[in-house]
Amino acid sequence: MAEKAILYDPTRCTACRGCQAGCKQWNENDEFIPTVENGVDATNWGSYENPPDLAPNTWLKMEFREVEAGGRVRWLFTRRACMHCTDAGCVKVCPSGALYHHELGFVAYDKDICTGCGYCVDACPFNVPRTDRNLLTGVAKMDKCTLCTTPGLDRIAEGWLPACVKTCPPKALMYGNRDELLAEGKARVAALQAKGWVNANLYGENELDGLHVMYVLDDQPAVYGLPVAPQVSPTVVAWQDVIQPLGWALGGLTLIGLGLNYIVAREAKMAKELPPQKEEK
Amino acid sequence: MVQEVERYPKATRVLHWVHTGAFVALFVTGLILFVPPLGALAADSWSRIIHRVAAVLFIVAPLIYFPLNWKASVGGIKDAFTWGKDDIGWLKAAPRYYFLSDEAAMPPQDHMNTGQKMWWFMVLVFGVVFAISGLIMWFAKTTAPPELLQWMVLLHDVAFITTGCMLFVHIYLSVAHPMMRPLRTGAWNSMYRGKVSVDYARSHHGKWYEKIARGAEKS
Ligand code: HEM
Ligand code: SF4
Repeated sequence: MAEKAILYDPTRCTACRGCQAGCKQWNENDEFIPTVENGVDATNWGSYENPPDLAPNTWLKMEFREVEAGGRVRWLFTRRACMHCTDAGCVKVCPSGALYHHELGFVAYDKDICTGCGYCVDACPFNVPRTDRNLLTGVAKMDKCTLCTTPGLDRIAEGWLPACVKTCPPKALMYGNRDELLAEGKARVAALQAKGWVNANLYGENELDGLHVMYVLDDQPAVYGLPVAPQVSPTVVAWQDVIQPLGWALGGLTLIGLGLNYIVAREAKMAKELPPQKEEK
Repeated sequence: MVQEVERYPKATRVLHWVHTGAFVALFVTGLILFVPPLGALAADSWSRIIHRVAAVLFIVAPLIYFPLNWKASVGGIKDAFTWGKDDIGWLKAAPRYYFLSDEAAMPPQDHMNTGQKMWWFMVLVFGVVFAISGLIMWFAKTTAPPELLQWMVLLHDVAFITTGCMLFVHIYLSVAHPMMRPLRTGAWNSMYRGKVSVDYARSHHGKWYEKIARGAEKS
């Protein structure tokens, strides 16, 4: 099946945060007004950003950045949520298969079988997955954007747009076939460059073998707070692709070796013992 | 009555079996995370809770044992790090001994033969590796840098694979090896009742038997 994707164009984004609200509402991630009575110190931290970070009940969040460029201040917006990587660190380390690739390419999640190990939290190059964790017992459950494929709340299976895309008033978010959005994104980048945005680029075409959330950027990714050349860490590769297979091989060889030893040693033992035993009789 | 000699005092045997229980529980609940097709069994963290309870036992049991049996512990730990000529003799003889049942090839062994010493050495070293990497993954999960946590899983896995394979060997030699007939002769009894027959002691741990026999004469 053709891969699907989301294209986000910050140059069209008004930072209304409709996507954030739509995401919360559809996925039943209730938010409360952070007041002192609600147990949250709602001090002003100098930004319209809210809530302060992704959380188990915040899968999508708009980030605001004030960037100085050429003597003037630009106010930039970045959509923060799962990037739905093809080479996804989280899928690689997930021991239970709770995180897996959907047939349309994005990273779906079956929360019921999440073990709470939290390996995905450390393996994600974009620092996306979040858990509520009891540090003593270790009990935890992960949460992240599922691109609206959460079982029971699956908009994609219904043929609907993801909640965030559906909500977006200026159409800064688009959803569709990945190759078509790739072409659309490239066209927009070309248009930006023609207008003098020399650093304009399409983020997500090849990062981690292709993200399923792509960004039309008018400046370097770092300016938008996006990692340049993100990578699954070498430690994860060593752990998953070297140590684990090695473990299987060594465990298997040990058991085979012991089995062989049993056969050979029993033969040898009988060869030594049986003749004298017969003579005794 | 067969004449018997004491091989492991009660405290040592209790520690051995408590540690065995904890280790097997840790092994099984760890294996669930290690083997992708089993992973779903860990849903809702329950196996990880057992891993933590067993880990406490695994760490606390020796910490209680060591001060109560200080001299034996220090001696035992020294033994684990003392390697010499005799060990080479064992290594040379081991294939013939364990596969071809060639008892004549084996030089007399001390209280621990070289194989047992290797296992004991690993238990000590990897026990510490398990505990340190495990405690970091447990309590520093939300504060340590991701890269460090991943290194800890890696270390934990190396310890798991090494000690896991050796555990198979250890169990096999203690209950099933055809020549040893461990259930009928010494190995099982030594850890279960703490005693072995003089015959067994002489044939399997000749050097040790010499020592205790001489000691017994003196006293
Ligand atoms: C000494 C105390 C130990 C502590 C504190 C400890 C703790 C942990 C922790 C915190 C994890 C990470 C997953 C989670 O959060 O539940 C883990 C994973 C694991 N543990 Fe332990 N552990 C200990 C001993 C052992 C032992 C003795 C074994 C096996 C013989 C073992 C085998 C494993 C395995 C196989 C994993 C999964 C690693 C992977 O996913 O690749 N652990 N342990
Ligand atoms: S952004 Fe993070 S959570 Fe999302 S697919 Fe990539 S590695 Fe997984």
